[in-house]
Amino acid sequence: MPISRTISNSSEPSPRVSRRTLLKGSAAVALGAVALSSARVGAAEQTASSAPSSAQPKGKVIDCHAHLTHHSRANWEADDRKLIEAADKLGIDQLCCSTLTPHWPGSLEGFRECNKWTAEGMRRFPGRVLGYCYVNPGYGREALEEIRRYVGGQGFMGIKLYNEYTCNEPVVFPIVELAIELGVPILHHASHSHYFVEDQPRLTDSGHLAEVARRYPEAMLICAHISGGGDWEWTVKAARHAPNLMLDTSGSVTDADTVDLAAAVVGVDRLVFGCDSSMTAGIGKIRGADLSTQDKEKILGGNLMRLLRRRKA
Amino acid sequence: MMIDMNAYLGHFAFRRLRHNTAASLLALMDSKKIDKAVVSSAAAITYRNAQAGNEEVAEETKGHRDRLIPFAVINPFYAGWQDDLKICHEEFGMKGLRLYPKWHNYALSSPSCRELVKAATERDMVISIPMRVEDNRERSWLLNIPDIPLDEIVELVKAHPKSRFLLLNGLGYTGSALGKKNNGLPANYAIELSRLSAVLANEIGQLIANLGADRLMFGTGMPFNYPDPALVKLEVLDAAEPDKEKIRSQNAATWLRL
Repeated sequence: MPISRTISNSSEPSPRVSRRTLLKGSAAVALGAVALSSARVGAAEQTASSAPSSAQPKGKVIDCHAHLTHHSRANWEADDRKLIEAADKLGIDQLCCSTLTPHWPGSLEGFRECNKWTAEGMRRFPGRVLGYCYVNPGYGREALEEIRRYVGGQGFMGIKLYNEYTCNEPVVFPIVELAIELGVPILHHASHSHYFVEDQPRLTDSGHLAEVARRYPEAMLICAHISGGGDWEWTVKAARHAPNLMLDTSGSVTDADTVDLAAAVVGVDRLVFGCDSSMTAGIGKIRGADLSTQDKEKILGGNLMRLLRRRKA
Repeated sequence: MMIDMNAYLGHFAFRRLRHNTAASLLALMDSKKIDKAVVSSAAAITYRNAQAGNEEVAEETKGHRDRLIPFAVINPFYAGWQDDLKICHEEFGMKGLRLYPKWHNYALSSPSCRELVKAATERDMVISIPMRVEDNRERSWLLNIPDIPLDEIVELVKAHPKSRFLLLNGLGYTGSALGKKNNGLPANYAIELSRLSAVLANEIGQLIANLGADRLMFGTGMPFNYPDPALVKLEVLDAAEPDKEKIRSQNAATWLRL
């Protein structure tokens, strides 16, 4: 479903960027160079940028942390379409999406409905939307059955856990063990603030995730949104000694040095690109990081692809 | 031409900043094709005597005034602020202010602040107000500084129709009178885009439609922020090129009397 964009009269609104331009810098735009835009148009990319080809990021760009809209919202369909259009503009090939319940803790009916909608979203946007199966671990057997149904049966790429439980509570362990059995990653909502977050009393942080990662060295854990508002320096440092814990770069915060510090402390191989709906922030942080093109390629998609290839189901 | 209305020099109390000297900020600007930047002291946000930060910025920007445009941080409750304002304007050539009412613990509606706004307006200075310095959830255990509520800005712009206010590091304007069409407010404020969305909700596009492109300005928040997210917003924004040019530099040049 490539969406081609063409050069138009300068007085008309028109997206004027390509993945290469976005990831390389703003020079082409600032100088008035015009590029075609498409996430997946190879021909367009051949004409897109004046930057040397050796410096162009290659490979897929995969947003590891995205959400489809809950169907209780009147504009859910249009909002989902906007998400794909934004991905097109920003050169994001695929989005790993969950649908979350509007209220927490997620009920059994609530997360079943959400996963059904995520599966529908994968059919509406084939090849663009990959699915996370969201469950509340407190539902035990039903939660595990839900994961088998959607990860095992419908090709979801991973499991999404939110804040119903802190990840190091034993109720979560069967989920981790099933993820290992299936060979899929778990994306866990996380943040660390230096105060008690009253509306999320069981909030997970990267220290909790590191503990679980050490308990289950075969697990593939992803700590969500290092730029999601907590103390990202703490988050990065607490993750250091857990090699099977990845850090997702998503979140609305655009503090300089987030990606650079994460790369320096845990290594680029443990970083995965994400937006969590903060689309320009997500792409901008990677572009702004003082890293090589090869390292950015790993973060933008290579590292997640490595995880996805470990799937057993 | 690209003018960044939201940049800083110096140290911040709670986090290391890179690119926070004139030389390193200019190098970053070069790499991002940003021609000029309005800068103020990051240290003055937490210095008790903010004027010390202004002095540092005045010194640091010497020899770079063609590209670095210094603004003063003034606390209208600190002794001698009238003298500081005069020095910043007349001796340091600072064309505007940055106010931190929450960090400096005063109300925008207080008589002292009103007096400062009036004095700065008489000097034709731009009054910029960062709605936040950093995300409150990452705050130090030492303090808890809230964002400035937009309602307080509404009252401020109404009270000073002849002043020029630039709102930095904010969002959610379309949910406030500030971002609505025909809002009855004086057109004496502009909005900087570093935290506004350019896709999905596309608040920038909504503000162009509601207020006009004359009321938006480019800014990055560097070196607190990566400059690239703000640059990407401009690149993907669905807007007419003349409107983008206004946002990139023309509006800023007009306000700064360049």
